[in-house]
Amino acid sequence: MKEQLLKFENVTYRYEDESEPALQSVSFGVEKGEFVVILGHNGSGKSTVAKLSNSIYLPTEGKVFVNGMDTSDENNEINCRKTVGVVFQNPDNQIVASIVEEDVAFGPENLCVEQKELRKRVDEALQSVGMYDYRMHETHKLSGGQKQRVAIAGILAMRPQCIVLDEPTAMLDPKGRREVMRAVRKLNEEEGITVLFITHFMEEAVFADRVMVMDDGKVILDGTPSKVFAQTQLLKKVGLDVPEVARLAAALRENGTDLGDVLTEDAFVQAFSRKMEG
Amino acid sequence: MIRDITIGQYFPGTSLIHKLDPRVKIVLTVLNIAALFLCRNFFSLLLMFVMSVVWVLLSRIPFKTILKGLKMILMILIFTAFLQIFYNDGGTVLWHPVENWDFKITTEGVFSAIFIAVRIVSLILLSTLLTYTTSPTLLTDAIERLLSPLKVFKVKVHSLAMMMTIALRFIPTLIEEIDIIMSAQKARGADLETGSLIQRAKALVPILVPLFVNSFRRAYELAFAMEARCYGGDEKRTRLRVMKVSARDIVMLAVTLVCLTAVVVTSFANVGGFILFERVI
Repeated sequence: MKEQLLKFENVTYRYEDESEPALQSVSFGVEKGEFVVILGHNGSGKSTVAKLSNSIYLPTEGKVFVNGMDTSDENNEINCRKTVGVVFQNPDNQIVASIVEEDVAFGPENLCVEQKELRKRVDEALQSVGMYDYRMHETHKLSGGQKQRVAIAGILAMRPQCIVLDEPTAMLDPKGRREVMRAVRKLNEEEGITVLFITHFMEEAVFADRVMVMDDGKVILDGTPSKVFAQTQLLKKVGLDVPEVARLAAALRENGTDLGDVLTEDAFVQAFSRKMEG
Repeated sequence: MIRDITIGQYFPGTSLIHKLDPRVKIVLTVLNIAALFLCRNFFSLLLMFVMSVVWVLLSRIPFKTILKGLKMILMILIFTAFLQIFYNDGGTVLWHPVENWDFKITTEGVFSAIFIAVRIVSLILLSTLLTYTTSPTLLTDAIERLLSPLKVFKVKVHSLAMMMTIALRFIPTLIEEIDIIMSAQKARGADLETGSLIQRAKALVPILVPLFVNSFRRAYELAFAMEARCYGGDEKRTRLRVMKVSARDIVMLAVTLVCLTAVVVTSFANVGGFILFERVI
């Protein structure tokens, strides 16, 4: 088994004035270089996972390990946050500075990175998300997708090994969502950054190496996208919609035309035309 | 309408004024404003007014933007100048409508009204130019450094500067939000434009309440985001932009000091005899 970068061990988390825990004895691991998507509807506990993963919240019971470091140990706090960066839902509420490059510099500035190295990191981070040309722009004049990419660059500049994105596309229009997805996939594929992507958009899960489905504070499904999406009934029961393509493929399968694992439109068209010819 | 507010806005650029060391820029602005308040005659006022215009020209900020900023204070300007006319009743009487009344317009009244108006305009030009040409982060950084001697008195200078950065960063966001809330309340039938002053003030409540509630939520989320980026609130943070006093800063400082001296000398030394040097205020 590969090295586990992020590990949840029987984690229970209870918000202060709530009787029901938001997470109930959740255990999972994320391996280095993996692209994992967590799916779940509102209130399933998926956002709590994000805040537990870099010691913003500490588990009520159980342990969270980042690179083997226990997040509840105060001495590990900074190192955990350096290793696992979190991007939040609302881009407006996580941008600290008024100018793009100054915001990206905020993280490494806090880590006391030297000026020369800092400049390099900021430029590289902005290039990786395709926002380098906007480095002197004002943050409030950007579109939602651009703001979210700046927020991702702000985390990247801290050189984390893993990025956790907590519904980064929930407040964006389809164009912004595509921009952010493309940027995140590029980071995972080209720079080998481990990604934990939390969302309720099923379409965004098809590119993942692994999909986890959460409901009521528990992980109820965990596997490859095709395996997870095959569970049409269970997904429907927890209020999630299987992507159109997967649903169509499932319907065809029931009628005797098995196209194999197809999750994206392109793959579907290819598999379908092959079937028709053959 | 509400989007016209340009306070605290920054227009990125590469002009001489943009490139000045922000610490020096703050000091220069303070010196210029002090000089403006020390002006007593038209000579010194003219000098300072020309200086402000030169600053504006050097900053290469379009005049349209500057005028937009001035539009905001137009009412205050007219009102102040208008009052000033009656405040001063020396000199030749220009208009005295009713014989027994003390109500009259005199040359000195008019002069002091013009004086005040020009002074306010120069003041606004100089002070807005500071935020127009300095990024908020640099500006607060500079303030933090200029105030650092206060640390001796246990003032949390860094926290203060960070608060200012965030406040400036959120001004446009909140303005946008007010716009959205206003539209939302109008869509629900709220009447914001008609009625007595009290009615209109009351109509603001349904706008302010969601604004405040949202601001608290924003603050909460921002705190998480800052924590996630390892913000610890200490002063040892490094900075992307290094501040360095260079030749242009020295030159600008010298020019400003010369002007200040000229203003002080002409205003307080007795150099009368020429109309421009006569004391107005």
